[in-house]
Amino acid sequence: MHPATPPTHGTMAVPVHRTPVPRRRLLRRLLAAAVAVPLLLGGAVACGGDDEAGSDGKVELSIFWWGGEARAQLTEQALALYTEKNPNVTFKKTWQANQGYFDKLATLTAGGNPPDIFQIDDNFLTEYAARNTTLDLTEYKDNGKLDVSKFPESLWQYGVVDGKLAGLAAGENTQGLVYNKTLLTKNGLPEPTTGMSWEEHIAWAEQVAKKTKVPGTMDASAVDKAFWVWLRQQGKDLYKGNDLGFTVEDVTKWFELWKGARDRGATPTPDVIHEGNATDITKQLVVTGKAGTSWVWVNQMPELKKNTKDELGVVAYPGDPGAQWARAAMYWSVFRGSKHKDAAVDVLNFLSNDPEAVKLLGTDRGLPSNLELRDQVSQSVTDPAMKQSIEVETKLAETFGAAPQVPIKGHSKVRAELTKAAEEAQYGRLTPAQAAEQFYAACKSAIA
Amino acid sequence: MALTTAPGPTRRDTGSVRPPAKRGAGRNRHGEGLAGYLFLSPWLLGLMAVTAIPMLLSLYLSFTNYDILTPLSEVEWVGLANYERMFTSDPSYWHAVQVTLKFALIAVPLKLAAALGVALLLNRAWRGVGLFRSLFYLPSLLGGSVALAIVWVSMFNRDGAFNSLLSLFGIEGKPWVNDPDWALQTLMVLAIWQFGAPMVIFLAGLKQVPTELYEAASVDGASKVSQFWNVTLPMLSPVIFFNLVLETINGFQGFTAAFVLSNGTGGPVDSTLMYTLNLYISGFTNLEMGYASAMAWVFLLAIAVITAIFFSTGRFWVHYSDGEDR
Repeated sequence: MHPATPPTHGTMAVPVHRTPVPRRRLLRRLLAAAVAVPLLLGGAVACGGDDEAGSDGKVELSIFWWGGEARAQLTEQALALYTEKNPNVTFKKTWQANQGYFDKLATLTAGGNPPDIFQIDDNFLTEYAARNTTLDLTEYKDNGKLDVSKFPESLWQYGVVDGKLAGLAAGENTQGLVYNKTLLTKNGLPEPTTGMSWEEHIAWAEQVAKKTKVPGTMDASAVDKAFWVWLRQQGKDLYKGNDLGFTVEDVTKWFELWKGARDRGATPTPDVIHEGNATDITKQLVVTGKAGTSWVWVNQMPELKKNTKDELGVVAYPGDPGAQWARAAMYWSVFRGSKHKDAAVDVLNFLSNDPEAVKLLGTDRGLPSNLELRDQVSQSVTDPAMKQSIEVETKLAETFGAAPQVPIKGHSKVRAELTKAAEEAQYGRLTPAQAAEQFYAACKSAIA
Repeated sequence: MALTTAPGPTRRDTGSVRPPAKRGAGRNRHGEGLAGYLFLSPWLLGLMAVTAIPMLLSLYLSFTNYDILTPLSEVEWVGLANYERMFTSDPSYWHAVQVTLKFALIAVPLKLAAALGVALLLNRAWRGVGLFRSLFYLPSLLGGSVALAIVWVSMFNRDGAFNSLLSLFGIEGKPWVNDPDWALQTLMVLAIWQFGAPMVIFLAGLKQVPTELYEAASVDGASKVSQFWNVTLPMLSPVIFFNLVLETINGFQGFTAAFVLSNGTGGPVDSTLMYTLNLYISGFTNLEMGYASAMAWVFLLAIAVITAIFFSTGRFWVHYSDGEDR
């Protein structure tokens, strides 16, 4: 500042002596207002009508799911059908890709603004059920408003957490090893079969790699569902009550199995495995042509097929297929604080048991849960990939073992830690035993 | 400094000779104050609603086991447990601290050096220099955008553009973004590449250096290099200081690129697990928002301490030429 500037800023110094009280009071009022406004708004939302429906009997249900364009179309058609039959119910539909879905759902819940109906999977069902975010559907099941009588017993029970029915299975799936048929037939190689042992699978993959220059199998050491099936084949499980169902030695054996596969050249290089470890369907190595197989769910086969020109096939994971189970591919849950619980449950019932709706939805969320309708749908399906996945899953259903308990709180962290530890071993930064130690310790603290 | 003018009356002096304010000292002033607050209120309310209250709330939450899904009214007070866990029993926390320090310590100095270097080159009266200034500034405009991060990832993939370029010279590339030894470096290069913002500030600073100083220096026979060290750098030191503080804070807060590169996991093998990304994962994926809030407060304090250190060392190397230099 120029020294000659006249001092005109007397206000800065003087009011300190002259007007302390009004200013402090003003500040206090401002603070009070700033605190009160959000509280009032919050109160207004909380008090805003406990009535089941508006005065004209109209109900708008918000519904939120993850998935792609195709799923959105099918779901919107099914919901439109519901509105056609129940003109007083309309839907506010929101959907997005899987990545970021659960962040969004958690944020909506925190904001006191969760959707009435939302899609969820077994990675998060317990997290939400244990915190009482989901409505217990048991009462509706018992009074018949929610009909699960045509569901396989183990399937609807896979939605029970701590004795409460927290989610309704939106479809059934099971683990599926998808392989590139075109690649194999072109090179005169045998296709993998259900019931191959893990050793046989790896030997087969090595043979594929030698002949085609494409690594035969994706490294499954970071794939939690593969680890889980393998554990069940060893008579163990992922969880037992509120604890882990396996030991450090089990993990070491699992990591060593795959280290062996890598050493034999049966799998891609670590950076490619890392790409394949992303859950995004378009990044699966069987689709990107960087490996002969990918470890996915049977119902994902048709969607994988859309991303490649090659013919694909699907079989069970190696080892005894009896270790696989009828898994709820995903669930529909109702928010416990929803103002329209009955209406929301009725929609769930409709999506699972209405013949037209189930036909519309097809196998996009897994095989229809309702067994009678599943038969009808599988007979009318024309898409060859979908047809094959239905056949394989129906065949596997004959040998399904009992469903395990729904994964416990902390499961999403356990999955992340498995990826981390497995990759440490894949990049050769840790030995299988060290990686197993790290994983086990991390799991213990994740579920504590 | 030799060339500063003789000490005239400074601001401090004028303060002591300020004539006593007489006119309308009472109600008028009060009215002015109120009007001031009224004019301030839109901003003040905004600050309260979107910054101050959430911040205070997060301070409170950092002492609780808040998990997002449980209503706020039901959270439990856990005292210092979150802070204790961070410092004693969470290896991934310390890993994230290391990754962040490594990122900031390497990327920030290099970015500033690049910014200063290019600013010196562009501080000349070439034809078309304006175009170059715009071009160099362009990457900064894209900032922390997701689109840019996606492009970056595809460029530094195994079969990305960068490896194609290398192969022209017969060099076999690496899967940069998918290699735990290189993923973070890829992010550093991205940060350094966006040197445009500090560069523009450096350019403005360079224009402020009085040409007499250079004239005097060359009359005394100083070489260009010596002029740079003895004239340009000291005169530019306030601007360097400003950029250093700003870019350090920016560097610590890097999030978007790491999130995109690793699909939000911090991988491969936690090599890109920046502090803020770890915080995000704790809060939204692991649903430990109380713990994440504690991390945020430790982070805030750490940045405050680092900034304070900069300010306290500043007086040894930052020269202000307005007659108050020490």
